[in-house]
Amino acid sequence: MTDRRRINGPAGATVPPIFDDAGLQDLTSSKGRSRAPNAIRKMYLKTGVTPSASGSAYLEIETSATPGVSGLKLSCSVHGPRSLPRSAPFSPHIVLSTHVKYAPFATKQRRGYLRDPSERDLGIHLEAALRGAIIADRWPKSGVDIIISIVEGDQDREASRLQGDEVWDMMNALSGCITVAAAALADAGIDCVDTVAGGVAALVQNAGEDSTPTIVVDPIPSEHERILAACCVAYLPTRDEVTNLWFRGDLPASDLDLYTSLVEKGIQASKNANRVLVGCLSETVE
Amino acid sequence: MASSQHVLLSPAELAYLHASLSLTPPIRPDGRSPTQFRPLVAETGILPGTNGSARICFADGTEAIVGVKAEVERTAQRPGEETVFLEEGGAGDDEEEEGEAVDKRKGDASWVEMTVEIPGLRDDDSGTAFLSAMLSEALLADGEFAKRLWINRRFHWKLYLDIILISPPLSYPLPLLSLTTHLALLSTRLPRLKSEGDEDPFFDDDWAAAPYLYPRTPTSVAKPTATTTTTRPPITLLVMAVGNNIIFDPSKEELAVADVALAVSVTSTASSHHIDTDTGHPAAEAGRNLRLLSIRTIDPPSRLTPPAVANAANAAYGASNGAALGTQKMLEARTAETEAVEGVWRAPRGGAKRMVLGALVQKVLERGGVVDEVLDALEGVDLG
Repeated sequence: MTDRRRINGPAGATVPPIFDDAGLQDLTSSKGRSRAPNAIRKMYLKTGVTPSASGSAYLEIETSATPGVSGLKLSCSVHGPRSLPRSAPFSPHIVLSTHVKYAPFATKQRRGYLRDPSERDLGIHLEAALRGAIIADRWPKSGVDIIISIVEGDQDREASRLQGDEVWDMMNALSGCITVAAAALADAGIDCVDTVAGGVAALVQNAGEDSTPTIVVDPIPSEHERILAACCVAYLPTRDEVTNLWFRGDLPASDLDLYTSLVEKGIQASKNANRVLVGCLSETVE
Repeated sequence: MASSQHVLLSPAELAYLHASLSLTPPIRPDGRSPTQFRPLVAETGILPGTNGSARICFADGTEAIVGVKAEVERTAQRPGEETVFLEEGGAGDDEEEEGEAVDKRKGDASWVEMTVEIPGLRDDDSGTAFLSAMLSEALLADGEFAKRLWINRRFHWKLYLDIILISPPLSYPLPLLSLTTHLALLSTRLPRLKSEGDEDPFFDDDWAAAPYLYPRTPTSVAKPTATTTTTRPPITLLVMAVGNNIIFDPSKEELAVADVALAVSVTSTASSHHIDTDTGHPAAEAGRNLRLLSIRTIDPPSRLTPPAVANAANAAYGASNGAALGTQKMLEARTAETEAVEGVWRAPRGGAKRMVLGALVQKVLERGGVVDEVLDALEGVDLG
């Protein structure tokens, strides 16, 4: 389906300009992961940023390229719970609708105004993660809309080549979406069994040494030579349950321990993000 | 979303189904064993206008066809990479010969385009987008597939996979679509390349000489005519857990009482070329070399089912109404909301324990398990 209401530029006709600055190239080539393998990036979370919505939250995650500058900026607003329109069929539960949209300028490649398949896909992942957390049968016949706009995608603008595919960025974005949506749901006062937070872990091969692959949490694709596999986990810490698991990569089936430790690291990353989330929420209460 | 279509079962029926699926061994409504697939009919090469096609029909009446079409497309040149000009063609060739061992082929995820069409759903429906993302993710996860589409440094094949569900979705169509795509890719052939190096591609017009996208090797002694493919396209299986049981290929009704549902994509490769050289099973030449490609949680439709009311909380059975509730009664009502009562259906709340998730994945990847069985069965399909 094409967007017929606006005049858009020609689709995918050009490659975005890259300024091949020699000094900049040196900077990017020497870059590697500076954090410990199981440390996530610094995070800023604030609830109640949109007055008109019943709940809202804003999340920033520090970027790697220049310290102190945020790489991922997410804004989430929750509208509802409100009654379903008369035409809608009866629902014994709250009807959850999630909407994830990149701003057109959020990534290197411009995004259109209509949601593309990858954004719809993120929405479904987010829905699965939140549906496990919400106590849905307390609101029959009502609906809630969760709208996330990704103001700035987590992409390294200095890297001259595209990093293969953007799926690893999508995982980072999804984990941020889950955390920010949980904060906004709590701000809206919607009952949840627990605060759910997202975490990413990846099996990476580093550039310098050709050693065995290592597992790191909260990976940044441009910091590593190759990402072999990654998983994004949405985790409820007090119940010790996983509401959404998304794994992608290439692992031998004979070596399940590798997969298990990857998920464990993802859960650990999610616990770290949850600490920020709980801190932010208790600050709001005081 | 396709997985959360409304199932017309009452809470009592759901509770009964859940109880019978939690037994050891579980009793499934259609009498299958927990690891048994629905019987299916499969054929390939049904569409003459495509590079590869397949049709699968499940016994419950769901039917899907997949057509694979390929087009030659010019590869976008990006600054920073070795930019190719036509004039340098001769010089580039000998350089390539010396570095024959190095795989120069590069793939890109945008070379594969997958569309899923399900009757009754809008084409921009999120569930359809989720299905096609899941299937293409499995295909592209190892990065090896896109390399097969490389022609030379200036051109590549663009592969269009069109998946159409002919019947209305009577169950969650993921396994059906995945198996059909698998067969269609196995039967896909691309014209034989005649040109060399970075010239404009020029192809052999003899269709009989066209090589398969997934090359085959003849099986040795038993049947010299039969061929097997060692590296195969991925298959995605739907697995769910109810209580302590793990159930494969659930029907719609079974999925409606699932505690957790996972879609697991696996493939089998010829050689252990990646990381598992140290663990290298000696049985690798006998069995398949399975690789895990992707896992996704499917939001189980059981979360959307209507809950039942326990007798303790039901006014018709003597439970007092809100006004007369004392604190004791309030506590009882609270217990009734949070604790499971035998035989009273309650939509599952919260997520899945990680032990359960681990057990599900382990069961799928088991040596000689369902994956092997399915791949063996698909090997029996005549690829024409």
